[in-house]
Amino acid sequence: MKILNLHPEKCTGCLRCELACSYMQTGAYQPSKSVIRVSPLEGYTSYAPYTCTQCMEGWCMTACPVGAIQINAAGAKDVVDDKCVGCKLCTIACPYGTMFYDVDTTKAFKCNLCGGAPACADACPTQAITFDEAAAVDWIGPFAAERTAHVLETEAAMVAGRGLAEAR
Amino acid sequence: MPARHLIVGGGTAGLNCIRTIREEESSPSEITLVAAERPYSRMVLPYYLGQSIAESHVYTATPASLQAWNVKAMLGRRAASLDTATHALTLDDGATVEFDDCLIATGSRPVKPPLPGVDLPGVHCFWTLDEARAVIAGVTPGSQVVMVGAGFIAFTILNAILARGATLTIVEVAPRILPRMVDATCAEIVERWLGRHGVTVRTGAVLTSVEEFDGKRKLSFKEGDPLFADVVIMATGIRTNLEWLEGSGISVSAEPGGGILVDDHLRSSARVVYAAGDVARGPNRITGTLEVHAIEPTAQEHGRVVGSNMAGRDVAYPGSLVMNIVEVRHLDIASFGQWEDASADVYTAVRRERSQYRKLLFHDGRLTGAVICGPAHDIWTTNDVGMLKGLVYSGVDLSAWKSHLARNPFDVKPAFLATRTTERLLPLTVLGRPARSPELPQSVAL
Repeated sequence: MKILNLHPEKCTGCLRCELACSYMQTGAYQPSKSVIRVSPLEGYTSYAPYTCTQCMEGWCMTACPVGAIQINAAGAKDVVDDKCVGCKLCTIACPYGTMFYDVDTTKAFKCNLCGGAPACADACPTQAITFDEAAAVDWIGPFAAERTAHVLETEAAMVAGRGLAEAR
Repeated sequence: MPARHLIVGGGTAGLNCIRTIREEESSPSEITLVAAERPYSRMVLPYYLGQSIAESHVYTATPASLQAWNVKAMLGRRAASLDTATHALTLDDGATVEFDDCLIATGSRPVKPPLPGVDLPGVHCFWTLDEARAVIAGVTPGSQVVMVGAGFIAFTILNAILARGATLTIVEVAPRILPRMVDATCAEIVERWLGRHGVTVRTGAVLTSVEEFDGKRKLSFKEGDPLFADVVIMATGIRTNLEWLEGSGISVSAEPGGGILVDDHLRSSARVVYAAGDVARGPNRITGTLEVHAIEPTAQEHGRVVGSNMAGRDVAYPGSLVMNIVEVRHLDIASFGQWEDASADVYTAVRRERSQYRKLLFHDGRLTGAVICGPAHDIWTTNDVGMLKGLVYSGVDLSAWKSHLARNPFDVKPAFLATRTTERLLPLTVLGRPARSPELPQSVAL
């Protein structure tokens, strides 16, 4: 199955993926309605895109009380709007935090791989998001660990009362 | 001879069990479903009440889907007694069903306090589809509705009652609302929010009687003025449906909440009898303590694990996580795990002016519970709600982030990412295999 392959070291934080995604998913250029979300790291000097891995368990899908989340032709877990009642159970069942609720439609929404032609991958100017035949892995974890280490050290030093200067 | 599986109860646990048997089995088996009602999802009844879905939307099985699953459905029947020696279930009409293995998933029923007038016309519970129909018939634009009880169930139907154009007063015997879902600080934020959105809340109110008075129902209290209502909804707790098992020899807990004691395969004290959902007292994933978790996700996971084991696989269940989410007038409220725990390190952030609250509870480096509250449109407040589940569920080591989260309980995402929680979660499945799309009645080959 083809999935979204994320390469955070190539991400510039331009947010074009969020605009493309929100437009594809909801018809609005509105990052808050994107289901791929770019996290700033290390004091806004590094960025990493983050979205649904189409995990094996499909926690959202198994949790839905009315079977409104199904596997689509692209192999993605997809919300069937006509069936979704908006109970939000999937948003707490998904342990990745990649299941969202749209206050305007009162439905859940998530990455459905745009049915097989993901807009985010198309929109990314640096190939930080590619659509490949691959197994899901933790794309962001190692990068995020590295790019938050300094901030954590600085904070720890401040807490210890040694101040910023010494920490550097 | 094919194996004979008997499923008692047509709720979430029972239906998930049936689907999973059909997904997993290597040779066809006989499945009999005994259910008091035609299967539907209790979770979505509030949306039927609120007129955002049709009644047809609530059903989780149709005659056609049960036929496609090759299920012998005995609907409208209740279990009366179980003989574990002869592997036979007797129904309320005297019929018996023999089985090789059996799932008890008879769920819960609402309980009303034993007070005068609670069975009068116009005094309802909101639990079954029939009760939902009765409330729908009674609550019309301009109706005055009094809801007795301010717990999770009451809150799930709050929006729907208002959507029907009724005015709503909630009375609660405890000093605060949502006593079993959130802590006092969160409850206060929610109560203020409700006040601003036209819902009257009266806490510490001890109901003493309900009576007919001039075409209305008059609710009297130990202290304070009486209330008058067109419709009274009693949401004062639930009790498991287990009385029929008396004399069966199945071990039921004597602890508060009761429940059939189950092992890590959800088997009861009788090896061929499983229990799932509200009637099962199984391990809490965080603490390992045996508890009844009468919530939809537990019923779903229990049902699938039992179905898998009935189909001949060997699936152990590591325990369930308590979690709830409810939205009232566009305010999201959710809690996970051990959200009230005197032995935990507790970090909170309160922004009353924005109705935001966050609480994180740690044991050493492990997040063991969380509470989250905020307006649904304030997406940064509620956006990471699933990550809290992931952190609690995976038990990932957050030691390096604890001090950051102590000062910034809202800033969960970088901690989630940098501790490689995704890597921990990716191999985890309930059944040890990828889940299948729920559109099974059409796709199962028999």
